[in-house]
Amino acid sequence: MADLQVGNRTIALDEDGFLDDSREWDEDVAKKLAELEDIELTDEHWAVINYLRNYFAEFNVAPMVRRLLKDTGKSQAEIYELFPAGPAAGACKIAGLAKPTGCV
Amino acid sequence: MTNTKIAPRDISLKTDLLSPIADLAPLPAPYSADGMEPPFKQPKPEWAEEHCASLDGFIALDGLRRPETKEDEDEFVRRFIGGLAKSFADSNNSFLEPLQLTMDYCAKCNTCSEACHIFKSSGEQEIYRPIFRSDVLRKIYRRYFTPSGRLLGGFVGADIDINWESIARLGELAYRCNLCRRCAQTCPLALDNGMLTREIRKIFSQEMGIAPTPIHAKGSMRQLETGSSTGITKPALIDTLEFIAEETEETCGRKIEFPIDKQGADILLIHNAGEYMAWPENPAAFAILFEEAGLDWTLSSDMIGYDSVNYGIWYDDTQARKVAMQQIKAAEKLGVRRIVVGECGHAHKALALSADRMVSERNIPVESCLPLLAEMVSSGRLKLDPSKNDFPVTLHDPCNVVRQMGIVKPQRDILKAICPQFREMMPHGVDNYCCGGGSGFAIMNSYNFKDFRNKVSGRMKFTQIVKAFGEQFTDPGIVKYVCAPCSNCKGTIRDLFEFFETTKKFNVHYGGLVELMVNALVSMNRPFLDFAATA
Repeated sequence: MADLQVGNRTIALDEDGFLDDSREWDEDVAKKLAELEDIELTDEHWAVINYLRNYFAEFNVAPMVRRLLKDTGKSQAEIYELFPAGPAAGACKIAGLAKPTGCV
Repeated sequence: MTNTKIAPRDISLKTDLLSPIADLAPLPAPYSADGMEPPFKQPKPEWAEEHCASLDGFIALDGLRRPETKEDEDEFVRRFIGGLAKSFADSNNSFLEPLQLTMDYCAKCNTCSEACHIFKSSGEQEIYRPIFRSDVLRKIYRRYFTPSGRLLGGFVGADIDINWESIARLGELAYRCNLCRRCAQTCPLALDNGMLTREIRKIFSQEMGIAPTPIHAKGSMRQLETGSSTGITKPALIDTLEFIAEETEETCGRKIEFPIDKQGADILLIHNAGEYMAWPENPAAFAILFEEAGLDWTLSSDMIGYDSVNYGIWYDDTQARKVAMQQIKAAEKLGVRRIVVGECGHAHKALALSADRMVSERNIPVESCLPLLAEMVSSGRLKLDPSKNDFPVTLHDPCNVVRQMGIVKPQRDILKAICPQFREMMPHGVDNYCCGGGSGFAIMNSYNFKDFRNKVSGRMKFTQIVKAFGEQFTDPGIVKYVCAPCSNCKGTIRDLFEFFETTKKFNVHYGGLVELMVNALVSMNRPFLDFAATA
């Protein structure tokens, strides 16, 4: 996929639009990534993004979906409303987490 | 040129697309109707600029890049030929004999083609015949490694132009096979075109550093670095297990405990770590059953001791050996009497069969979970009420468990005892068809490869599933369940069901075996399976 232009930075994305290097993430990157999915980030989005960032910072892996739902108090449908591409391809991607790997 | 005329020597033809995917085998009703099958995603021209998209338009080898210079191209060919020489050297001792026999004795009777789900599903495209791929390799081998081939070329079947395109196409073609070895089972001469395919993958990985990212860089390499291909580290594992325990208690009222690193336990249970992330109810169900049956067991939190996957057995001997050694080490450290592999097909083969050859100092027995679970049912140790599972259930046989290991009956004995509406797919047992996700396909999603899985390699299994439920299939009022005791198979079936909207339209669900067992437990006050949640 094409690289992402954020200000004067060029950030590499993989073919599914995930950051190649999750350390490049910041709030401006999130906003740009959200734009690509036609999402305007609200406080509700940020609550999910910040939760994911914190979990990722602690464990270096994304939480399982059920954990995300429980910890954020949102239903799966609500997550899909906020992030139409879903918890992984939507929320985790915009939060700058690495793409899920292994047999998942 | 039509596809039916493509011959192995054409692998080097200068064309942008050697064998475009054409008329696939028809799907059964209701999927035979117009608009029920989504179309292929069209390849983008820029993919072909970077990778090899000239075989059939699909790209599995995302790390295979077109060379920029003539020197790069020559080096690419040299490395492949050098690797091929190693495949036929004595040091390749586990594989040399079947490889040499397959190379020398194929009678081209095509019995294998008739057995291959990819060849049949593709509408019988020549390039997907198991012997097409082997014949390309055979021609290269003869050309370089036999005196007559060097001198006489085409007269002795060594008629092939060897360049970047032909070798790259062969590399791609090695990833149009699920390594299910249904072809090997059916070959009247007992030749193994599946193993030969793996040798090609092996040369690409070990000699050329080229393998699909999801199984190498983000698969077995990640496993060796973090402890798991999922990236789950020890702290993440502990946290996840606590969460699964809490969640299980809340949703179905059952308190569970995961014993972790219990020294001297009878059993070390190793799951595919993907279960913890994607299907946490599976490890939870194991914990409920093992506890109820009073087994002395533990999980390991040691490096790789909590992830049974070993992607190396699909493409790279070195990676396979490194992972297997860590798994055995984790078991030795705990002093367990045996290792039991959870519901993961390739891990069964990797730990119980391949590890024997790879880790010579191993002396801990490795078992499949299936006979153990069957014994828990037949001995009456579990009190089960089959009426709790009174809906149509069919069973998918993971190739590695069934064809490669001959474990056929235990899972059926269980289902017959707990599922009044159990019915077989046809064919089944050792004659089963692969789910379409075998040998890494389940997790390979680069470019348009997902389409190849959903529409071609998974087509036969999807057809079998539709047929297994007969007239009940289209009735959304009837919950239906495909039992697939393997993480890879589950992932593939999940994607098929999303692609074809099978759950949404027809109320067909999938899951493992232990979930059905727990659902039937008399001691469970609430249902374990919640079909509303997955609809």
